[in-house]
Amino acid sequence: MGKLLSSPKLLVIAIAAIVALLVSVGGGALGASFGLGFLGGPIPFISIPAERVAYIGSYPLLNSTIMFWFGGIILLFVAWRAGRNVKDVPSGWQNFMEAIYEFFSGTVDGVAGGGAKSGRRFLALVSTIFMVVVIINWVGILPGVGSVGRIETIDEWVHHHIHAVEEAERESHPDYSDKQIHQLALIHLLEEHGNDTFVAFDGNFIPLGQGEQARVPLHNIVTFTDKELDDLAKKVKNDEDVSDDPVYERIEHDIHEGVVKDVFTYDEGGSNETEYNFTGQTAGLLVPYLRGASTDINTTLAIAIVAMFTVQLWGFRALGVRGYGGKFLVNPIKQGPIATFVGILEAFGELTRTISFTFRLFGNMFAGEILLIAMAFLLPLIGIIPFMGLELFVGVIQAYIFAMLTLVFGVMAVASHGDHDSHAGGH
Amino acid sequence: MDALGITVQQLLTQLVSFLILFFMLYKLAYGPIMGMLDSRAQKIKESLEAAETARLEAASSAERVEAEIAQARVEGQKIVVEARDAASKLREQEQGRARGEVESMLERARTEIAREKEAAVEEVRKEFAGLAITAAERIVEGTLDAESHSGLIDKVLEEGLSERKN
Repeated sequence: MGKLLSSPKLLVIAIAAIVALLVSVGGGALGASFGLGFLGGPIPFISIPAERVAYIGSYPLLNSTIMFWFGGIILLFVAWRAGRNVKDVPSGWQNFMEAIYEFFSGTVDGVAGGGAKSGRRFLALVSTIFMVVVIINWVGILPGVGSVGRIETIDEWVHHHIHAVEEAERESHPDYSDKQIHQLALIHLLEEHGNDTFVAFDGNFIPLGQGEQARVPLHNIVTFTDKELDDLAKKVKNDEDVSDDPVYERIEHDIHEGVVKDVFTYDEGGSNETEYNFTGQTAGLLVPYLRGASTDINTTLAIAIVAMFTVQLWGFRALGVRGYGGKFLVNPIKQGPIATFVGILEAFGELTRTISFTFRLFGNMFAGEILLIAMAFLLPLIGIIPFMGLELFVGVIQAYIFAMLTLVFGVMAVASHGDHDSHAGGH
Repeated sequence: MDALGITVQQLLTQLVSFLILFFMLYKLAYGPIMGMLDSRAQKIKESLEAAETARLEAASSAERVEAEIAQARVEGQKIVVEARDAASKLREQEQGRARGEVESMLERARTEIAREKEAAVEEVRKEFAGLAITAAERIVEGTLDAESHSGLIDKVLEEGLSERKN
């Protein structure tokens, strides 16, 4: 303490740290309960599917795909710099890539059972998986990814979501006309999502300082009552045309306009109810322009499929079609029904591994993204710092797990059945 | 599937992207770097082996050189000893020769001296006898006849000489 007081530099740093902490606490979610919360924005809508940000022709470009390509370009650039002029005495990027390849070269040889180059066939895929997953994990937590985006209006939101409901309606009512299906779907969508909240904003920027309260339930934007919806649904089912019905017209108009209609109370639990007035403000959802590729199941599933498909290839190449296929399809007469059952389980195991690959990576990275968002709201400015470090670490660990599991499954696939039996017989 | 956002279109996009990435990485980095690593390992192995043979060779040649040096040393010592022996032999020989010469010279000188002395004595005797005769002649001139008294004088001289000798 004495040292702290005697050194003005340290004192200034300490005071700055304390001020930053106080500002963070006051500006964050905790301060919002006391009427502060000046740094709090509305929590972004957390969506498991990745969002479309643009259309190339009719191809919807997802925000996660952009980050996948971005990470890929970085990786290719590093690889190009490292591999364009390899020298025996390495320098620069070559050092870096060499270190990765050497590390995995040792690892695959070790796991594959010892001898030099015994695991060479696994090396290319295992090291590539590691590097790709690391880079997409890391670019996914760059600041701005997941938090900068455009506003999707209520109109667009309905447009995106009604499709799935229409499909469902068409299945349960195959005899209805397209118009009926559309109207029914809209009614059901409102019934189902009436309490979903949207962000109120002035038309350009989502405001800082409104915090959690800037979220407006859908039924305050599109005004309807349950009874009105019920009546409408009955009319549609009775084959009546509701296009000119005043209630339906009002709903369509509200959706198109997409502004907050009235004052509402936000239930904070208990007796603490406050009225919020955002009347006239536009409502919508934040669609981030960028999103970490590993927080999109498509990406993780794609890598998992490549990994498990290659594992099967390794198995077939090492043991032949009969040898490797014999692990899954066992003759119940020759080797007994239990062996057959085990073989079927093994086949299911391969499928399960693909799925567990997919969700392990997706779950960890998606949870990390949400954790960062949550910390940005609990303790803006500083709360995110340690968790950024944690996410960098998790990014490497998950990539390593993905790569090593691919390697282990590969080694298991190329181990011949005889080895396995004699090993088991030893016990 | 819809709730998770899995669509065939996006799945294929990511699948193709990953495969492209894999092959590009293979071409750009994996191929060249692994090739270089293998060739470097080979090179290191070779140069280690070469170093080992060079070390063995150096050790064996050092051994050879040492043996040669030892042999040379032994030979040198032998030569020195031989030289020393020869030198001492020569010296002894020379010394013996010199001594013999000196002795013979002494011997010669001594005999010479003895001869000279005898000759001198003879001469002195002769001279003395002559002188004595002359003297006696003078004394007894006329009274004595040289021939009849010379025997007597010789006898006197003989006695005198032998007295001196003793």
